[in-house]
Amino acid sequence: MKTLLPAVLALGLAVAPAAADTLTVITAGDQNMVDYVNEYLGPLFEKDNPGHKVRVVGTGPGDSGSQKISERFEAQAKASTANWDVDVAVVHEKFAGPMVKAGYLDAYRNKIDSGKLVTRDNAKMALGANVDGYVMPMFNSQTALAYNPALLKDPPKTYQDLAAWVKAHPKQFGYNGIKGGASGVSFVMGWIYAFGDGDAKKLMNGPFDEAETKKWDKAFASLKEFTQNATLTPGNAGTLDMLARGEIAIGPVWVDMFYSWQADGRLPPTLKLVLPAPGMPGQPMHYVIPAKSPNRDLAAKFVALATSPKVQAEGIVKRFNWYPGIDAEHVKAQLDSATWEKLFTEIKPSDLANYGKPFPIAPYNNAILEAYERQAAK
Amino acid sequence: MPTRFLALALVVPALAVIVLLFIVPLAASVVGAFEVGGGYGLGNFTKTFEFYAPDIAFTVLIVALSTGLIGIFAVAIGGYLTLGENPRTVAALRWLYRWPLFIPFIVVGQIFRTFIAKNGPVNNLLVNAGLIAPFDAVSLLDWRGIVLAFVWKQTPFVALLLAGAMASIDRGTIEAARNLGASRLRILMEIVVPQVATTLLVGLILSFVTMMSVLSVPLMINAQSPTMLTVDIAFRINAYGDYGVANALGLVSLLITASVAVIYLRVSMRERT
Repeated sequence: MKTLLPAVLALGLAVAPAAADTLTVITAGDQNMVDYVNEYLGPLFEKDNPGHKVRVVGTGPGDSGSQKISERFEAQAKASTANWDVDVAVVHEKFAGPMVKAGYLDAYRNKIDSGKLVTRDNAKMALGANVDGYVMPMFNSQTALAYNPALLKDPPKTYQDLAAWVKAHPKQFGYNGIKGGASGVSFVMGWIYAFGDGDAKKLMNGPFDEAETKKWDKAFASLKEFTQNATLTPGNAGTLDMLARGEIAIGPVWVDMFYSWQADGRLPPTLKLVLPAPGMPGQPMHYVIPAKSPNRDLAAKFVALATSPKVQAEGIVKRFNWYPGIDAEHVKAQLDSATWEKLFTEIKPSDLANYGKPFPIAPYNNAILEAYERQAAK
Repeated sequence: MPTRFLALALVVPALAVIVLLFIVPLAASVVGAFEVGGGYGLGNFTKTFEFYAPDIAFTVLIVALSTGLIGIFAVAIGGYLTLGENPRTVAALRWLYRWPLFIPFIVVGQIFRTFIAKNGPVNNLLVNAGLIAPFDAVSLLDWRGIVLAFVWKQTPFVALLLAGAMASIDRGTIEAARNLGASRLRILMEIVVPQVATTLLVGLILSFVTMMSVLSVPLMINAQSPTMLTVDIAFRINAYGDYGVANALGLVSLLITASVAVIYLRVSMRERT
């Protein structure tokens, strides 16, 4: 797969060189990202801009998908290609900073209308790198604690409360550690934000300082004790499964997965969400436009459409249960109240603003994972 | 001389495939295990043992226990197929026991993940049958789940080999024992199993090596701590992009399987001499 994908990608881009009226969108992420452009965004754009076509290429899920896009840019930059073969790219947060730094990207956000509708800080800083003006968030995903009100009426509102509750109710909290998916990783990052002796802001914004990594011993000692009273679940989906079967009362989940499962009937409709203080991480995916795109204006138009309140409401919130990339208040007007309430009744926009945190910057991220393996998992 | 050359020419393509697709990647992985920063050293191994010593022990114990159970069940199944007296139950067993052979490991993991969960079908059945109280139900999604999945999946493989070997032994030895009044269990343990011991050993060693390399089952059932080496290898690469420690872990599991292979070689050499 790993070697096949770039080959297919290269072939696909080689046999169909970007004509003036073909917009090439390249996206990291699961197949649903490709489908989203193919089935929804592309036709919408083609309708608004007759004569132009949208072509989408997927590079695969996870960081490796974004890594491939990054390598593609790097190769074309090194070859001093005048016109790159990508007009719009969708990349993970972690890759936006390095791309801006390398000078691959166009600063287009202030040129489009929806640029003014972005309010979250993660459109300015991406894991410690200044990306202001270069990126438009496609959506924000967020982790939170899902709980079963039948087993737990009054959910803990903070990590401190949660720790106390778990002590009193052993095995009722479930999470997937750090080897079974990012909801568990996110929970651990939140734990360090809450109980680490260092400055959580520094972890999120950098710069990296080795001394900072020595300030987590107490937090990991308490996490180890906490984990002994927790149930370990097999993966992101495993936590949701156990919640659905009533085996655990509460556990960290991805909010969009939670809502999608509930919509499919795989989770009881009674389950609820809470975002505990001081916060849990989430991450956006960003639309970026290469500086050497042959269709920069058209590309900006495409992103403007994709981040317009109407598309954010229809496509991002309603289809995927993701949080919008632009300020939620602007999206609210475009949505029926049922959809809006579903997304925001349990976690209010203000909670999201206060407790929706970014992941730590990469070196801290790795250091926390290793420290977890060394100190909390044994 | 020309025939010799011809023979060599015939062997070259196969040899090239083995060298290119097996030896070279293996060598790269072994060399990679010793690469630290720009040079060579044992850094990856220090880290491997510092972080994953419990997982190494866990892996060996899980796979050894599974292999033992597989041996017992395979002998039981093969024995019944050979010595069973009721043709109908023998036919039914012959038809049934092979099914797990055709189910991929990932599907086995998926089945067991819900099947043996705390509120899964197995416990529900036990609770409904009044055998256990609801609050006594426990999740088997830990080391027990992995062992269950491995044994369920690999027993038919060994049983298949064993039943074939048992069918081809001289029936006269069995009949003789029977005439002298030996019980079926005694015939199985003292007459049949010793005659098929090599086949049993080969089947168990192949199962051992297969189980060492399975990622999907521990990932689906218990990717926690301690977990199996395959999960750690995947995690080192996916979370840290750290191929060094992943290679070192790979080498450790290679040494574990190699030690089993050595036992096998010794036994087969002794038989030949």
